[in-house]
Amino acid sequence: MKMKAIVVVLLVLATAALGSFFRPDVRPGYGVTGIGWLSDYFAPLKGTNMDTPIYFMDSGVEGPTFLLMGGTHGRELSGTTAALVFIENVVVTKGRVIVMPFSNISGVSIPDETGKALHFIQVETKSGPRFLVYGDRRTDPADQGIPDPMVFKHAQSGFTLEDGTEARNLNRQYPGVADGNPTQQLAYAIIEMIKAEKVDFNLDMHESGTPDKYIDERGNTRSGSSLAYTLVCHPDALEIGAVAIMEIEAFYGVSMKLEESNLGYRGLSHLEIRNATGSLSFLSETPNPGQDSWRKVYDVINDPDYPLKHRVGLQLQIIQSLFNAYEMLMGETVLVTGLPSYNETMENGLFIYLN
Amino acid sequence: MKKLLLTFFVVLCFAFVSFAAEILLEEPVIVTSAGQSPGALQFTVVAKMVSLDYKFDKLYKAEDVDMSQFKTFVIVVGASGKGLGAAGIDIEVEINRVLALAREAKDNGLKIVICNLEGASRRGESSDKIVTTLAPLASVYFVKSDANEDGFFTNLSEEAGVPMATFEMTVGLKDVLAQYFGK
Repeated sequence: MKMKAIVVVLLVLATAALGSFFRPDVRPGYGVTGIGWLSDYFAPLKGTNMDTPIYFMDSGVEGPTFLLMGGTHGRELSGTTAALVFIENVVVTKGRVIVMPFSNISGVSIPDETGKALHFIQVETKSGPRFLVYGDRRTDPADQGIPDPMVFKHAQSGFTLEDGTEARNLNRQYPGVADGNPTQQLAYAIIEMIKAEKVDFNLDMHESGTPDKYIDERGNTRSGSSLAYTLVCHPDALEIGAVAIMEIEAFYGVSMKLEESNLGYRGLSHLEIRNATGSLSFLSETPNPGQDSWRKVYDVINDPDYPLKHRVGLQLQIIQSLFNAYEMLMGETVLVTGLPSYNETMENGLFIYLN
Repeated sequence: MKKLLLTFFVVLCFAFVSFAAEILLEEPVIVTSAGQSPGALQFTVVAKMVSLDYKFDKLYKAEDVDMSQFKTFVIVVGASGKGLGAAGIDIEVEINRVLALAREAKDNGLKIVICNLEGASRRGESSDKIVTTLAPLASVYFVKSDANEDGFFTNLSEEAGVPMATFEMTVGLKDVLAQYFGK
C-alpha cells in the first residue's frame, strides 16, 4: 500500500513537472463566441489535468442559459461527440448555451479500463481523418493522487456505495467539496460555474449498456440495461422531460423512458445540480454496445443496431426537444440554427457534422 | 409553445389507435400512479391537451380523498425503482395504497381505468403484479401497444369482459381520451 502511494505521488509530480495535460481535438464553428476554463470559476483546478475548456455560444439576445455537458464519463462517446457537433455547427440566436464537452477530462485522458476499445478512434470527416477519444468512466488514479477508499461515501449525505472506485466518478460527487479530492473539487467547480453563469437548465449526456437480452455463463437469459433510452429528470423538471420525449417518439420514432431522480441516491448531477443551484437538470442515456460487459467484441462506431450516428443523433434531438418543451412550459427558450435533427443525422451520417 | 402544440395535433391526425369506445367515461377525474414511474405525470400532460377536468397526486391515500367528488379513477401503472425510492416506499406498500383507493372508488360508483402509458418499458414482475392485483376492479384498459405484445392486457380484458383501447405512441392517448370522455 505504501509503495502504491509513493508511485502515485511520483506520477502526480512527474505530470505536474511536465505540465502536459490532455487536450482533445475541438474545432469550434462560428457560433462559439468565447472560450474559457473551468478553473476560471475555481482556481485550484488551474494547471491540473482536471481543468477543462468551456465554450460559450451567446446570441446577444436576452433569453435563457442552457448548459450542455459531455464527457462526465469518458467512454460514453455519444455525449462527447454530440457536444462537439453542437460546438462545431450550431449558432445560438436567442439566449445562451455553454458547452463543456469533456467534463471529466482526466477520465477522458486514459483508455477505458475494460480495455476493449481503442483510446483514439479514427473517423473520416469533411476535413479528413480525425480521432474521437474513448476514455474511462472515472478520473485517472494519477490525477486523483490518493488511493481509492474501500467504500465510497458521499461527502454531504453520508450515502455509501460498496465500490470504492466511485470516489473517482464525477457523477457521484455533486455538489462537490472545495477542499476535497480532485474529483470532488471538479464537481464543486462545475457547481460554481453554473451559479456564476446563472444556468437556467442543463443536460448531462451519458451512455449505458444496450437493452439487448443476452445469455449469461450459466445459460440463463438476462435482461439488457434498463437505463438505455432513458431521460432522467429532477422532480421539478419532470414535466418538461415528459413533453420532450413525447415529441421525440411522435416525430422521430424513438421511444424513451422517463425517470425521476431518486432522492435517496446522492451525488448525481440530475438531482444535486438543481438542488444546489436552481438549474433544471436532465440526464440522457443512449445505448453503447461498448458498455455491455457480456460482449466479447464490439464496434462502438458502426454497430449495426446502435451505430454512433443513431446515438449522437438522439442526443442532439433530445437537446432540441428539451428546448421546445422548455418553451412550452416556461414561456421562452433558447433558439438555435444548425443543430442537426435525429433524422438528418441518420440520413446524412454523423461525420459530415464534424469539422 | 403554439408551434409545438400544433405539431402534436398534426401528428395525432396520423396516430394509429385501436379501440371502440364501448363505455363512456365522465369527468371529473382523479389520477394517481401505481408504481411511481413518471407515466402518471405523462398522462396529465396528455390530459391537458383535451382539457380533461382532473386532479392528480402520485401519492393519494384513500383516507385523504373524497371519492364521491369524482366520476372516474385513472390508475397509471408503472413500477420504477427510482420513483419508489424517491417516495420512500416499497412495492407492497404501493400496491396496498392503490388497492385501497380503487376499492374506495368502486364503493363510490366511479369507473376505474387501468392505464399503461409507457409501453414495454413498464412491463415486468412488479408492474404486472400491480395490474393483476387491480384487474378485478377495472372498468377499462388504456394500453400502449408494445406493452401488449404477449397479449397480457388482452387476456385480462377478455377474461373480465371489459373493453381495452390501445395506442401506438404516448401522444396517441389523446384520441383515446377524446373518444372515451366525449371530447
